[in-house]
Amino acid sequence: MKELSYNHLVMNMPPRGTSRRQFLAQSGTVAAGLLLGADVAHAEQRAIKLRDLYEKDMSFSPFAENTKGQRIAVKGFMAPPLKAQSPFFVLTKRPMATCPFCNDGDEWPDDLVAVYAKRIVDVQPFNVALVVSGTLELGDYKDPDTGFVSRVRLVNATFKRG
Amino acid sequence: MKVKTALTASAAAIMFSLSIGPVALAQSALLQADNVWMTDAEAELQKRLARQPNTNRAKNVIIMVADGNGVGTNYATRLYHGQSNGNYGDENVLPKETLPHLALVKTYNVNAQTPDSAGTATAMLAGVKTKAGMIGVDETVNRGDCSTVEAGKVTSILQLMSEAGKSTGIISTARLTHATPAAGYAHAADRNFEDDSALPEGCEVPDIAVQLINAMESGTVDIAMGGGRRHFIPEEFEDEEGKNGRRTDGRNLVEEAKALGAQYAFDEESFAAIDLSSEAPVLGLFESSHMKYENDRVNEPSLADMVEASIAALQPNENGFFLAVEAGRVDHANHGSNLHRTVTDGVAFAEAVQKAMELTDDADTLLIVTADHEHAIAFNGYCGRGTPITGLCYGIDGEGIAHNGEVQLADDGQPYTVVGYLNGGGSILKKEKMPAEMMMEADIVAENTDEAAGEQVAEAETDNVSTSDAIQAHGDRLAADLLAQLDITTEVDEDTGKSESYRWIGSRGPLTQEEATDPDYIQQSMLPRGSETHSGEDVAAYASGPFAHLIDGTIEQNFLFNVMRHAAFGE
Repeated sequence: MKELSYNHLVMNMPPRGTSRRQFLAQSGTVAAGLLLGADVAHAEQRAIKLRDLYEKDMSFSPFAENTKGQRIAVKGFMAPPLKAQSPFFVLTKRPMATCPFCNDGDEWPDDLVAVYAKRIVDVQPFNVALVVSGTLELGDYKDPDTGFVSRVRLVNATFKRG
Repeated sequence: MKVKTALTASAAAIMFSLSIGPVALAQSALLQADNVWMTDAEAELQKRLARQPNTNRAKNVIIMVADGNGVGTNYATRLYHGQSNGNYGDENVLPKETLPHLALVKTYNVNAQTPDSAGTATAMLAGVKTKAGMIGVDETVNRGDCSTVEAGKVTSILQLMSEAGKSTGIISTARLTHATPAAGYAHAADRNFEDDSALPEGCEVPDIAVQLINAMESGTVDIAMGGGRRHFIPEEFEDEEGKNGRRTDGRNLVEEAKALGAQYAFDEESFAAIDLSSEAPVLGLFESSHMKYENDRVNEPSLADMVEASIAALQPNENGFFLAVEAGRVDHANHGSNLHRTVTDGVAFAEAVQKAMELTDDADTLLIVTADHEHAIAFNGYCGRGTPITGLCYGIDGEGIAHNGEVQLADDGQPYTVVGYLNGGGSILKKEKMPAEMMMEADIVAENTDEAAGEQVAEAETDNVSTSDAIQAHGDRLAADLLAQLDITTEVDEDTGKSESYRWIGSRGPLTQEEATDPDYIQQSMLPRGSETHSGEDVAAYASGPFAHLIDGTIEQNFLFNVMRHAAFGE
């Protein structure tokens, strides 16, 4: 019986005579191609931190006010989605394993960004750092589907791992 | 030759000492006599030889608890505090570390090797270990069962002190209804019973917020300051910061407290306006939930500010006072694997301890500074002196004191931070979906194992099972074995019927010192968990004042209560 290893699964069946080291190199490329891919257009953009949008008292920062309506890139984590098969998710500064909206005992942090993506969101693990690019919107908005009220949004957004 | 002479000489010395018994021996001069480590230690020795136990009656008792601040977490804060003040960190001495007495404390709950803050707070403040999650009741009560609370109630040190005519205060940077402060004034079968909306149907024990207001009304609690406003106001009511309450019984306990004559503060300005000379009780609720981390604090008092105000308000009572202080968010930052906020809240706690030390006299005040439990925090090495405690490990310089500036790499070729957690949100393992292409490969691999399938066919023929079924069954089994070997789990969504396969997998990427020392950086951990856990490891208790010398050796956590009670009442 053939010995099976993870490498057999990661890539297409290797041609005879290819070394294990070459397989690994190939498999990395394949995996990266599958997992990433989104938002190549904004890859060059310098991502800001979520805290750059807020002052300590949760008012908008001068940066936020100045870039309102422009496309910016923000680093953060995808909180577990409120709703499946949706273009909407919440970006938080630190990883959140549970959806606070779904669990009464949990709380959303004050400083978050609501993201409205261009497409249905491919849900990412809660502890994977992301860079989200989108057009910055400021001001209160209540999501008609979830009732989620946001103050800062990135719309027409795309994201990649960062 | 030289070596042999030396050995002979020491052997002679031993023989000499044996023959003449306990007579002081002439010492050879210490080569290191002038070494600063030696002279400092000699001064310390003399200081300790002069130490006398303080057996005065304690007029005042202060217990200060940094939640989740075990010996390891405290070490991180010591270094951060020192490095913030321009030294290497290791040589730094936190205010509590100057207190003369110390014990190691065993923190487990009766049913939990790894304790929770409710059980530990009940141990410290009421003198009995109990189950995890319990507030002010003994272990006969089952979690969530209100019916046995009355029979299981225990008396807190705060209650004893109040009955003795002393003024009392409770302050915390967490919600005032949270586990640690609640154990001072409340009895509950579950720490989560913070307001009426959380009570199970038929529970006749008042929620924790109501118990605090009752305690203020009866005069058991004079000062209460912290977070948790939402548990005191109705859900339809918006507070000063535009956030709604959680109460479903329509009661506004803030208004009730004011009607009883309490002074109420909700921000820096109203905090500054409190009349500390007044005998009216004080209710400070500075946030809807927990108060802010020190790193993010704005428009609310610091823990040191609250300690200063509390002592000023409590001190005029000639019978003395009791004050329980909690730095509640060291724990929360640890849960978030965010060392920066852990240590900055640790420093805020140190400043609060310093304030308490300055404003009291250890002739008449027993001060205990401790933690309730530790976390799953751990320290990597080998780092040189001055390595930033929140950042990447630098190497040791064999020709000097300070680190050599070279980032140390693990065997995966990547740098590592000094501090990591065993579990938490910074896990290197991520739940990765297995792409459909990959899963199809598993099927192909399984189907292509002709040799094994052939054996299976032979077996099948003897069992009179159709050949194609046998091959199919074998293929399925093989695919399942393969997935199990690779830790691949498949889940089926009940709503959509779609299946999804995933695997927890990961590796560490590059990390710069700038990224690692960023205030929002999450330290890496091994196990993935949204919230990092406590650990059962010991914590320290530091003490000064009357009977502080009883805090010594390794003790059960509940013993702290007996020391406070004995110091105050001689009982």
